Amino acid sequence: MKRAYVLATMIVFLIASGAVALGQAPKKPAASGEDVAGTVAILDHVWLDAAHNHDGETAAWLFADNFVEIHPGGILVSKQQQVDMIKNTQLGDIAIQSSDIQVRYASLDVAVLTDTTTIRGTQGETNYGGQYRVMRVFVKQQGRWRAAGAGIARIAAAQ
Amino acid sequence: MRQIHVGALALILSFTPLAFAQTKSAATPRGGVDWKALDHKWLDSERTGDLDYLEKFFADSYVLVLANGQTYTKKEWLGILRGPDRPTLLTLDPENIQVHVFGNVAILTDHTTIKGHDSKGNSLDGEFNVFRVVIKQDGEWRATGVVMNPDLSKK
Repeated sequence: MKRAYVLATMIVFLIASGAVALGQAPKKPAASGEDVAGTVAILDHVWLDAAHNHDGETAAWLFADNFVEIHPGGILVSKQQQVDMIKNTQLGDIAIQSSDIQVRYASLDVAVLTDTTTIRGTQGETNYGGQYRVMRVFVKQQGRWRAAGAGIARIAAAQ
Repeated sequence: MRQIHVGALALILSFTPLAFAQTKSAATPRGGVDWKALDHKWLDSERTGDLDYLEKFFADSYVLVLANGQTYTKKEWLGILRGPDRPTLLTLDPENIQVHVFGNVAILTDHTTIKGHDSKGNSLDGEFNVFRVVIKQDGEWRATGVVMNPDLSKK
């Protein structure tokens, strides 16, 4: 029942956010005719929404098994570690918003995008407030796009 | 009896392609690529200024994100390495290289030590944990992205 609710919510979200995401991402249709850029731009929003809502189930659905992310400060985390962080409500809430989504590379089964992610808030003892340049990698596995990894660099204040 | 043998042989032969595919995958779990060598060659080329190699190795989609969030495209970064303001890199050494392969894309993470200075003499020394993305294009692995992060655990 819960899974059905999550799926229904995600479908509604995907449809609702489609126009916004498509407006931000350059169109790079793959050879199959699929709008890869549009799809991964939407998944970028799904990813950040899951992080904001402590939605570990969606994060686990989105992340590939071999997922890897480097956080600001150089901390390397696996899929399980990232999902655990996302669903840990004790860490506190952070507001996350992405903009300037640019699909740098898109093929039938790989997409790489960069975005500017703005975070407000503190988790645990760490204040994540600030702007970040993020590179996100997506892969198509068994017909479904999944997040393979992300690298995040804090944008220096002077920029 | 002979029928059973023939049947068994047919069964074995029918599974042979599957078995070979699995064996190859198991024997070369990371696609038969020497990722360590690829990473070292990449950074050695940046350190020594082997721009011919980098021109081929960087995909057109290449983007470099420095630790301060500043972003460079392939054209911009190679322009810097070619130009009078190119940095002097004495050490560019990746260690603890880890690879995550997803078919036609691989994510490499490493710990890179940099020693050097910019064209004005300002130190570029630092230790970084780096996120590198390489893609397979026309049978060749090429770099498409880098994000650098200062390793704050070293401070």
